Amino acid sequence: MSEQDTPSSKPDATETNSRATGGCGDPILRIQGVTKQFGGITALDGVDLTVDPGITGLIGPNGAGKTTLFNCLTGFHKPDDGQISLYETDITGKEPPTIAQQGMVRTFQIPRELADMTVFENLLLAPMNQHGERLLASWVRGEQFVEEEQTIRDRAREIAAFFELDHLLNEPAGSLSGGQRKLLEIARALLTDPDIVLLDEPLAGVNPTLEQKILSRIEDLVEDGYSFLLIEHDIDLIMDNCERVVVMHQGAVLTTGPPEEVQSDERVIEAYLGGDNV
Amino acid sequence: MAVADFIISLLTFISIYSLFGIGLNLKFGFTGLIDFGHVAYFMIGAYVTVVLTMPAGAAGYSGIGGFALPAIFSALGPLGSLFGWILGVLGGMIAAAIVSLAVGIPTLRLREDYLAITALGIATILTTVVNDEEWLFNGPFGINTVHSPLRDVFPVSVGSFTLNMVVFGALSIAVFAFTGYWLVRVFQRQGRRGKLILGVLVPLIAVWYFVLPTLSGGMVELTRNTLWLFDPTAGPNGGIDYDRFILLVSVAALGGGYWLTERTINSPYGRILRSIREDEDVPRALGKETFQYKLQALMLGSALAGAAGALWAINIGFIAPDQFAATITFYAFTAVIVGGTANNKGVILGTAFFWGIRNGTRFIDVPSQYSIQLAAARLMLIGLVLILILYYRPEGLLGEQDYDIPLPSRNTSGGTDDV
Ligand SMILES: Nc1ncnc2c1ncn2[C@@H]1O[C@H](COP(=O)(O)OP(=O)(O)OP(=O)(O)O)[C@@H](O)[C@H]1O
Ligand SMILES: [Mg+2]
Repeated sequence: MSEQDTPSSKPDATETNSRATGGCGDPILRIQGVTKQFGGITALDGVDLTVDPGITGLIGPNGAGKTTLFNCLTGFHKPDDGQISLYETDITGKEPPTIAQQGMVRTFQIPRELADMTVFENLLLAPMNQHGERLLASWVRGEQFVEEEQTIRDRAREIAAFFELDHLLNEPAGSLSGGQRKLLEIARALLTDPDIVLLDEPLAGVNPTLEQKILSRIEDLVEDGYSFLLIEHDIDLIMDNCERVVVMHQGAVLTTGPPEEVQSDERVIEAYLGGDNV
Repeated sequence: MAVADFIISLLTFISIYSLFGIGLNLKFGFTGLIDFGHVAYFMIGAYVTVVLTMPAGAAGYSGIGGFALPAIFSALGPLGSLFGWILGVLGGMIAAAIVSLAVGIPTLRLREDYLAITALGIATILTTVVNDEEWLFNGPFGINTVHSPLRDVFPVSVGSFTLNMVVFGALSIAVFAFTGYWLVRVFQRQGRRGKLILGVLVPLIAVWYFVLPTLSGGMVELTRNTLWLFDPTAGPNGGIDYDRFILLVSVAALGGGYWLTERTINSPYGRILRSIREDEDVPRALGKETFQYKLQALMLGSALAGAAGALWAINIGFIAPDQFAATITFYAFTAVIVGGTANNKGVILGTAFFWGIRNGTRFIDVPSQYSIQLAAARLMLIGLVLILILYYRPEGLLGEQDYDIPLPSRNTSGGTDDV
């Protein structure tokens, strides 16, 4: 394979995504008036947002609705109201697998490793549309089956090495530490070859050296045309790494803009950064 | 009855129920679908195969059919009629799969416990319908005109009495030799406790099979038990009889089902099934249409149960609705859990264990007034063993199996293609 260095880069980037246009074209995601209620709680209260290519930070106090927004975007929750489109395709209310197939993949805030399967199998599961995922192909095992499985194993090993999980490949994923589970989440999402990845606090509990390594990997992937929406509580990290920042508060978008601008926004300071030093 | 004959009927039983259990394991062990209605597909496989293969207008039968598939192909000789029977079995398997599809579409989108309860309800309804609607499959009277494939070919004799004895005797001993070789290898791989259990159990069984019958019946019994494939009373020159043939067919079917399931599980397809069991949201987030996979696992598991049902019918020679009570499903669950959930070898072990205790204790001689107590004690014994196993080995005797997708090794890498 010619692309060993970036295991997640797509060999066959489709024409439908805007990656070919160099990342400064149309927005990837368009979110209009998305509302979600849980009984009496309004978790999302008319979220309006467009997400452009590149890396976007999503911040906001606990309970602001960040994870709920991710759940609505990826189909795990059906919004009560509003519209979501991914590359101009309406995906409101679609099922999670459909949305993932269209190129938007998420990680879970609380890692959801497949505990009784090995770390390797957790990774091997991720690549989409594998030939051997069809029943007949799994019985017949032609050349394509073998070749694809080889390629997928190589990619999984490479990414496991990057995330420093390679010595644990044959361990059950349930035996990983908290931080390692976070890493497995990211690795799995990247292996699906998405256009945009929604990362829900992926770096909480990850050691600083590895954190820097992952962030530079993410930057490399952005160069290759991937996009990221990143929830993170570490403001400095967001300010240093994101091109744009979205601030959520009480189920709505408070403001969006470049990091410096957002950082000095008084409403943001009040809602999130400072609290009472108005 | 020589012990060999008892063992043959027990092994046939175990093979058929193991195939049934492997179907359940595909649903429950690997995919996490709790199907309390598994026996329904056993019944459908049995009934549909029987009706497709038996002659029309059979005496005492007032249901639909039969469709006499073997008779249609009998112009091609015994193999043609065997082909007709195999078509009938395929029909039974497809019917089971289709019914499970109809059950799965509304229930699999719901939470997993809904499937369990709904499936139990549907299985009960199906048995009741077969029992009450006489126009369908003859109702409670059942069907006793079951087509037995290659029935008139048996007993097969290859020549004189001596020749028969030599040929089938050699085959019998070959099976013992293979079993012995396999046992030694298993023994070597065991830890201390496993070695202890095997070291006690295997000699006990050997004594029971070889020594005890010889003490009571002499050399004739020993010969019959050793050359178990050879039946001296089958035909004028002895040979292999139909019961032994059914055993071979059942073992072959079990082997086929085992192979197919292993192939299914040890593949990217199987990875998805197991990820569904672990946490369905994960494969969904990764773009897998899990609903389709659950449906397919349900259908494939049901088709295997259907094949087991077809074998059940030829083994018993008579089918009736009361043979397909819901308890059969729970026996299979017990066998799967005892042997090791998500372990196909464990299913066979668990099934052997369960039916060995149930039927093996028949040999205990008790005065007839205690026979009811013995039947109850048998169930209590199974319950006790189940509790002990679940207490000391909650993962079952063997635990979950290992998985591997064997790939041809490449010269470039160091051959570390283990999964
Ligand atoms: N499944 C649910 N059922 C009921 N209420 C929910 C559910 N999910 C979220 N909520 C509520 O919605 C609100 C927003 O929660 P959400 O998880 O989106 O916050 P968040 O911004 O991700 O917070 P954090 O930074 O702590 O992860 C909270 O008040 C929460 O209690
Ligand atoms: Mg959250």
